[in-house]
Amino acid sequence: MIEGFVSASEYMLSNPFNFILLILGVIWGILFGATPGLTGVVGVALLIPFTFVFEPIEGLVMLGAVYVGSTFGGSISAILFNTPGSPEASCTSLDGYPMAKKGQAGMALGLALGSSAIGGIFGTIALILLAPPLADFALAFGPSEYFALAILGITAIASIGSKSIWKALIAGFLGLGLATVGIDPLTGFGRFTFGNDSLLTGISFIPALIGLFALSEVLARVGGTSDGDLLGGGVVSTKLPRLREVWALRITLLRSSVIGTLIGTLPGVGATTAAFISYSEAVRWSKKPEAFGTGTPEGIAAPEAANNAAVGGAMVPLLALGIPGSATTAVMIGGLTIHGIVPGPLLLVQNKELVYSVFIGMLLANVLMIVAGIHIAKYFAKILRLPYAYVGPSIVVLCTTGVFALRSNYFDLAVMAAFGALGFLLLKLDYPLAPLIIGLVLGPIAEVNLRRAMILNNFDMIEIISRPIAGGLLLLSALSLIYGFYYQYRTYRKTC
Amino acid sequence: MSKKVLSLLLVGLLAVFAFALFGCGDDETTTEETETDVTVETTTDDTVTEDTATEDTEAAGGEAAESDYPSRTVEVINQFGPGGGTDLFIRAIGMPMAKITDQSIVGISVTGGGGVPAATEFFNRPTDGYTMMAIGPEEVINHAMGRIDATQFLPVARVQYDQGLFFVGPDSEYESVEQLIEFARENPGDLSIGVTGAAGFDEVLVGLWNLRSEAELEVVPFESSAEAQAAVLGGHTDLMYEEYGPMRALIESGEVTPLVLFSEERLPVLEDVPTALELDIDVTLGRWRGFAFKEGTDQQYVDTMFDVIEEAVEDPLYTSVEEQNMLQYRSELLGPDEFQEFFNSEMETYSDVMEQLDLAQ
Repeated sequence: MIEGFVSASEYMLSNPFNFILLILGVIWGILFGATPGLTGVVGVALLIPFTFVFEPIEGLVMLGAVYVGSTFGGSISAILFNTPGSPEASCTSLDGYPMAKKGQAGMALGLALGSSAIGGIFGTIALILLAPPLADFALAFGPSEYFALAILGITAIASIGSKSIWKALIAGFLGLGLATVGIDPLTGFGRFTFGNDSLLTGISFIPALIGLFALSEVLARVGGTSDGDLLGGGVVSTKLPRLREVWALRITLLRSSVIGTLIGTLPGVGATTAAFISYSEAVRWSKKPEAFGTGTPEGIAAPEAANNAAVGGAMVPLLALGIPGSATTAVMIGGLTIHGIVPGPLLLVQNKELVYSVFIGMLLANVLMIVAGIHIAKYFAKILRLPYAYVGPSIVVLCTTGVFALRSNYFDLAVMAAFGALGFLLLKLDYPLAPLIIGLVLGPIAEVNLRRAMILNNFDMIEIISRPIAGGLLLLSALSLIYGFYYQYRTYRKTC
Repeated sequence: MSKKVLSLLLVGLLAVFAFALFGCGDDETTTEETETDVTVETTTDDTVTEDTATEDTEAAGGEAAESDYPSRTVEVINQFGPGGGTDLFIRAIGMPMAKITDQSIVGISVTGGGGVPAATEFFNRPTDGYTMMAIGPEEVINHAMGRIDATQFLPVARVQYDQGLFFVGPDSEYESVEQLIEFARENPGDLSIGVTGAAGFDEVLVGLWNLRSEAELEVVPFESSAEAQAAVLGGHTDLMYEEYGPMRALIESGEVTPLVLFSEERLPVLEDVPTALELDIDVTLGRWRGFAFKEGTDQQYVDTMFDVIEEAVEDPLYTSVEEQNMLQYRSELLGPDEFQEFFNSEMETYSDVMEQLDLAQ
C-alpha cells in the first residue's frame, strides 16, 4: 500500500496538470451541487466526454474531485435559500436554514464545510484502509437488512416531534403514504393513480422537497407569515465557526462519519439516506432533541459529515467488486470502460497507480473544498443582501427550471407546486417538516425491501427478524421508539 | 490575493469550458442537454399546433422535405437517466453521427413513470425529423400493458442487440445449468432470481424461461443492476439475470459464474457457457436498442437518417464502445423495413408472454 502511495505521489508531482484538474473539478462540483437540478451525477456525466482527451488517471482524478465538491455544494443553497441544490443536501436545510435565518449564515456554511471535509476525509481513509471488509459489510446487507435500517431511521420521528408528538406522527405518516403513489416498484403496475397515467411518475422526492422547503418558504415570506425582512434583518454574518466550536461536535462528527461511510457502501441507498439516518441518530443521542429544527450545530454537522463520508463509501464496492455504490459512481464506471478500464478487484492489481492517484486526489479534493467552498459561499451569501422582492421570484424560477431539468418530466412541476402549497399549509399549522421528509425518503426503501425480503423468506416474518443484523436493528428501533415516546411523555408532564 | 486567485480559477474554468465546447463535438451536445432542453421543451408545447398545421399544408401542397436535412440539432428522447445503457448508447453513436451530419445529436432523458412520460413527450413533438426516440423492449412492454400506442413509432434502425445470461454468486452450489434446471423442476419457485426493474424486459425473459423450461424461478425485482449484483454476491438471491457488459468485471474476477446464455450462438469470450437453445429451451430474447421517428414523418428523413446511422456504426468511435460491451456479436444493423418487421414480431412475442404471465392488461 505504501509503495502504491509513493508511486502515485511521484506520478502526481511529476504531472502538475493533475492539480489544476483537481481544483477545476472541485469548483465545478460545488457549482453543480449548489444549483438546483444540476446534481453531481449530471456534473460527472457532462465531464466524461471531456476526459477522453486526458489520460485515464487525470480524468478519474477530476471526476473524483467533482463528486466530492458536488456533495458539499448542495448545502450552500440549502442553508442560504432553503433550496437544497442536490438531494443529499436536503437534510441540511432542516437546521441550516433556521440558523442562517438567525443571522448566522456564515456559521452554518462554515459548519457544513468543516463537517463535509472531515466526513469526506474519514470516508476516503476508510476506503483506503478497509475496502475489502467494508465490501463484505455491504454484501451482508440483503433486503431484510435494508428494511431494518430504514425502520431504524423512521422511528427517530418519535424523538423529533418537539412541540406535538401527534403532529410529528401525522406528518410522518403523510410522508410514508405519499411515497406510495406511482408505479409499484415490485409489480410494475400503477398504485393510487386513479386511472391517470401522468400519476405513474409518482411523488418523487426532489420535486416534493423543493416544493416543501423552497416554494413554501417563498409563499410564507410573501404572505408575511415569515419574517418579512431578510435573514437576520439584512445583516449577513459570514463569521466562520472557530475550531473550538467544531471540536465541540466531535462525537456527532465521528458518529456521522461512520454511519455515512457504512451506508455509502450499500448500493441500494446512498448519500441522501446516509444524511437522514445520521440526522435521526443525532436527534436520538442528543441531550436536547427539541433543539433540532431550530438551527442547532449538530443538525448541520450530522448530515454533512455523513453525506461526504458516503462518497468514500460509495467507491468501496466500485473498487472492491466493480459494482457502483451510487448513481454518480455508476456514471463514472461508464467513463472508465470507455477508457478501456474495467473497474473491480483486478483494478488494484493492474492499475495500482490509478487507484492510489484517485485516493490522493480525493483527499486533496476535500482540503481544496474548504478553500474553494469558503469563497464560493461568500459570493452566494451576497445574494442575501438583495431585497427579497428580487430574491424570492428568482428562487421560484430556479426551482422550476431545476426540477424540470432533472428529469424533463412535466408532472414533477405539478408535484413541486402542490407540495409548495402543502408546505405552506403545514408551516401555518405548525407541523414539523422533518418527519414528512423522512417518511418520503425512507418509506419507499422500507416498503420495497420488506416485500423483497418477504418473497425471499417465503412470507415468514420470523425468518426476517431472526437474521442477526436485521433483528438487531429492529430491536434497536423498538427500544428507541419506546424511549422516544417515554421522553416525550416526560417532557409533556413537566411542562404541564 | 484570495480574490485574485478565485477570479483566475474562474477564468481557467471558463477557458476549459470553452475548450470543451469547441474542441470536441460531443461535449457541445452534452452541455446543451441540460441547459437547452428546458427552453426547447417548454416552447415545444406552444409550437406543436402550429407545426402540425404547417406539416399538413406541406403534405397537401405536396411540397418536398427539406433538402439540407438535418440542418439543426436532432434530439433523441429516451426514458433512462444519465449513465444508463441507453444514455451511453446515444452518446456513443451520437458522436460519429454528429461528425457525419455536422449537427449535434442530443439525448434527452425524460425519466420516471415507467417510460410513459418519455413516450408522451415524443408523441407530442412535431414530425419534422428533428426528434427521434431511442426505443427498446420497454416500449413494446408498455404497449402490451396498454400504456402507450407503440404502433405510432416509425422504426428507423435497430442498432444494438444484446445477449444476457443467468449468473450465480461465489458461494453457489450450482456449477452447471443442468443442476440448476434439475433442482428447479423438482422445487418450482424455490430459487430466487434478481432482475432489474419491475415488469420490464428482464422479468419477461425470466417469465418466458419459466414457461418453456418448467424450471420455475421466483423473480425479485431490484431498482438498479448494482443492487441485484450485490444481492447475488451476498447470497441473498440465488441467481441474477443481466447482460454481459455490466457483468464483465465480476465475470473476469471470478466473483460470479455465468450458467446459461440467451442467444442463438455461444459467446466467443465464454466458450463453455451453453445457450438455452442447446438445452431445448427456446429463449433467445435479447435487449435491443434502436431509433424511431413518429408515424407521419417524411420517408426522405427516415432514409437520410438511416444512411447516417449506417455510416456511424462503422466508425471506430462507436465500434470501440460496442466491443467494450460485447455487443458486436448479435448487433446486426436493421434498416427501416427489417426493423419494422422485427418490431412487429417482438410486439407479438411480448404480448403473448405477458398475457400468459398475467402482466398484460
